Amino acid sequence: MEYVSPEGLRLDGRRPMEMRQIRADIGVVAKADGSALFEMGNTKVIAAVYGPREVQNRSQQLNDSALVRCEYTMANFSTGDRMRKPKGDRRSTEISLVIRQTMEACIMTHLMPRSQVPLLHLGELFLHECVVCSFLSLVSLFFQIDIFVQVLQADGGTRSACINAASLALADAGIPMRDLVTSCSAGYLNSTPLLDLNYIEDSAGGADVTLGIMPKLDKVTLLQMDAKLSVETFENVMQLAIEGCKAVATYIREVLLENTKQLEYRRGI
Amino acid sequence: MVGLSIGEKHFIQGGIAQDLRSDGRKRLTTRPIYVETGVISQANGSARVRMGATDVIASVKAELGRPNALQPDKGKVVVNVDCSPTAAPMFEGRGGEELSAELSVALQRCLLGGKSGSGAGIDLSSLVVVEGKICWDLYIDGLVVSSDGNLLDALGAAIKAALSNTGIPKVNVAAGASGDEQPEVDVSDEEFLQFDTSRVPVIVTLTKVGRHYIVDATSEEESQMCLAVSISIDRQGHICGLTKRGGAGLDPSIILDMISVAKTVSEQLINTLDSHIAAAEAGEEES
Repeated sequence: MEYVSPEGLRLDGRRPMEMRQIRADIGVVAKADGSALFEMGNTKVIAAVYGPREVQNRSQQLNDSALVRCEYTMANFSTGDRMRKPKGDRRSTEISLVIRQTMEACIMTHLMPRSQVPLLHLGELFLHECVVCSFLSLVSLFFQIDIFVQVLQADGGTRSACINAASLALADAGIPMRDLVTSCSAGYLNSTPLLDLNYIEDSAGGADVTLGIMPKLDKVTLLQMDAKLSVETFENVMQLAIEGCKAVATYIREVLLENTKQLEYRRGI
Repeated sequence: MVGLSIGEKHFIQGGIAQDLRSDGRKRLTTRPIYVETGVISQANGSARVRMGATDVIASVKAELGRPNALQPDKGKVVVNVDCSPTAAPMFEGRGGEELSAELSVALQRCLLGGKSGSGAGIDLSSLVVVEGKICWDLYIDGLVVSSDGNLLDALGAAIKAALSNTGIPKVNVAAGASGDEQPEVDVSDEEFLQFDTSRVPVIVTLTKVGRHYIVDATSEEESQMCLAVSISIDRQGHICGLTKRGGAGLDPSIILDMISVAKTVSEQLINTLDSHIAAAEAGEEES
């Protein structure tokens, strides 16, 4: 099948190095500590962040840093044919893991190790959850940060969209981060490197490189590829993906800046 | 779930007793409702409804299937609700399953009538393509994105809006198939049929806190409830379904009182919903 026409146009009318339209919105889930909606073309995801809050499952607590958890869920109506899969299938679990590891790399978890808080500073509600550890009424708290991503529409590149949404939601929640993480995919079809594959191109069987970078630090935090490519081509495709990630980063920064200005305005600063 | 101190609990209960709730509403005032249609482009119809911090999405997908052997002249409708963990961390993993099941069954009861489908708000016989052989199966999926009480009413409103947004493709049946053969069909991708949604009911939940009952409760108010009655009422004022939740008992005379109150509230709700749906559809056609 022809994925790039002789005129150099793709199935949805884009140029090979063109991204789909991206759109982001902050604060879409009122009850969450931080939340964001991220759209890449027809792919649409919502991320919500809860935390830092006390560890819910005592056996998971870490002594030297905050615990980061992530869950990826797809809505029943997100795919073309209505899917009926039980929650927590293998693919979702893998993506949850990938997102968690990617976000863990940028969150400054070491700033939230186990902390000792005077009992007086805590509301009576927290009392039963904490361990009173000394006569001075000091209480030990272990922190966790929950990231929940919900796919509303899937049209290729859900991983990337989820990471971008999670990044925005973490920033909205005011969680200390080294840098934003942004992600974008790139592929190779009809001997042309293509940026930001949609579902049809993704399922065409060519190589699919999903990349996540921290743009300011210039570090790669996520790299996945299937199918095979020669080293030279891989370099090109990866370079294209890096450019994509940087474009996403520029946009995310704009959105965050705009959001901060709005907050400033509302506070009357 | 909701952590409230004793003082806050008294404040909420006292406010309800004095007909001035913590967000300034009266007992029988609803929050403003926002409707957006056509939010999921891959579905046949979809809508997003927001009431305060409650945010739900409903989508309708139609698939060709075979009618039930016992009811060859009726299509099938399945309602399913999922609670996304984005709404509350407690819905993580399998945590939301109990609430999802409760909401799905309550919606099924309120919208589709009994097993015979006689009380259904949707005309099931309009879903049949060839009697006994082909019909449309409607899959109605609800998703709770953000939760701040009164989920059932919000989902009911979202489903009503999604159904009025739904276009079912026109089907041409090839002539000549006889007997037990499954006839060949041609699904048009240009012509769509719209639903008649005027008979789809809305759901009004009355939550009893202390000695009084309120409409459109927030999650803080729901945490103080002793019981809740969800009544689904259509435009003509017929009661299409009833569900009672919560452990406390209820005087039968109060139920009748609640129903008449729900009737007046539902009239306002249907009117606002209809004008919002019309506005949303008009806005969508322009863009």
